Amino acid sequence: MTLEQFKAVWKKAQTAIEANEKHFSELDAATGGDGDHGTAIVAALRAINHAEGDDFPAFLADMAERLETEASGSTSSLYGAWCEGMADAAPKGATALDADQLADLFQGGYDEVCAITRARQGDKTMMDALQPATEALVAAKAQGEAAMFAAAAKAARAGSDATAQMQAKFGRAKNLGERSIGAIDAGSASMATIFEAFA
Amino acid sequence: MPMKKFLNDPENLTAEMLEGLALAYSDKVKVVNERIVVRAQPKPQDKVALVCFGGTGHEPAMHGFVGEGMADAAVAGDVFAAPGGPKVFEALELLNRPAGIILLTLNHNGDRMSARKALRLAEKAGIPVKEIVVQEDIAPGIDADPEDRRGLGGCIPLMKVMGAACEQGKSIDEVLEIGKAFHSHLATLSVALKVATHPQNGAEIGSLADDEMEIGMGQHGEGGGGIMKMQSADATVKIMVDKLVAATKLQAGDRALLIINGSGATTTMEMLICYRAAAKELAGRGITLVNGIADELLTVQEMAGFQMILAKVCPTCEALLKAKANTPYWTSIG
Repeated sequence: MTLEQFKAVWKKAQTAIEANEKHFSELDAATGGDGDHGTAIVAALRAINHAEGDDFPAFLADMAERLETEASGSTSSLYGAWCEGMADAAPKGATALDADQLADLFQGGYDEVCAITRARQGDKTMMDALQPATEALVAAKAQGEAAMFAAAAKAARAGSDATAQMQAKFGRAKNLGERSIGAIDAGSASMATIFEAFA
Repeated sequence: MPMKKFLNDPENLTAEMLEGLALAYSDKVKVVNERIVVRAQPKPQDKVALVCFGGTGHEPAMHGFVGEGMADAAVAGDVFAAPGGPKVFEALELLNRPAGIILLTLNHNGDRMSARKALRLAEKAGIPVKEIVVQEDIAPGIDADPEDRRGLGGCIPLMKVMGAACEQGKSIDEVLEIGKAFHSHLATLSVALKVATHPQNGAEIGSLADDEMEIGMGQHGEGGGGIMKMQSADATVKIMVDKLVAATKLQAGDRALLIINGSGATTTMEMLICYRAAAKELAGRGITLVNGIADELLTVQEMAGFQMILAKVCPTCEALLKAKANTPYWTSIG
């Protein structure tokens, strides 16, 4: 994957996210959040797409920087950590990544998110999409880039859909207890939409 | 249905609100670096600085309590969203001083992540900062893991106590010790009758039937579990006082601070009626109240309901609560 392709994916993701802004906010309100995940994830994608950089580490570091300075809230902090982890995992000066390097990139991003939140798959958060997507992507690296992203997108959406049956154990939705069962977690749904933009 | 609120472009709510604060209270505060509210007259460099931060939409908290005797700076995020770590760090850079800075963080996931980042940046830059985390909500249970307890309106009297201690010239460790001691006997419980709408997208946050109330709602109206049929002011207050007294370990003979903090759409009449009920409940238990508050300190847009804040106060804290303060929304002649 070239840097230009990577940048194009984020533009595509922004379009898909913006088209579903209201849907994400409604999911957030239905699961006990404050009903603004749509606003938050759109702000995050806009900040991401202001980023500049001539190689993967520089571009990803600028993504993280912009998320934390141009946007607010936990969504931006989590995505900021994701991008920071990816930036640290990207080879110096790289303008294109092979399958192995992409796997390392996404693993690095996931590891950094794990460092700033205790939430994991099963807690009804964005981790329900990010964790299975990262695992699927890394597991498919022998089959090449297209297969990796296809597997990741599928795993992310399945992981997100599964949150409908979960009781929230994290974030604001946690305070709703059993009443959080029934609706899909908003953060996992938007994360799945982003992985679908990569596929 | 469109929201019935006096707003302009939803993108500019926070910026316009801060501009209004600085214009209305220009003798007390000003806005720097877009989102950082600081005192109009800075505190001397040899005193410890107190910095707080948080999402907006909860006015007058937190930025309404910047000024002499309370906070030195408040960093505003967006509506219900904490400012990013680098933005909080900017305030720490602005207030950097050998006496040190105390960063007051409310226990919400976004706020904790921003604080973590800001503290890491401060450490790298050699800025002396110590953190106090406010986690006084007793909705998850009196014996719940502190990590599960959110920071609610109790942060405001805590800021008053710590801010006054900073003003007296106490060291960073002394101020922290006073703050932690006050926090260890501080508890808040909220009740809601009607949910709030998000001022940017008009969505209702949560839902409550016409004949229901909910005890234990969070800062934003996130559900807390205790939905029940509506009850009178006295009956509702009794349920809450029982839990708060147990949580603060108040006993006959103790002195306590009681605050009825309106959530945004509760009338002053209701707040006073609830204050009266709580004061009588507490008097019946032999607890003496120091000067209290029935007012809006930390709101959630137009949510109907209130947070009852109760704290055991020692003579030191009582004096600090009374000490001079000159902020937009808490003034005391001392």
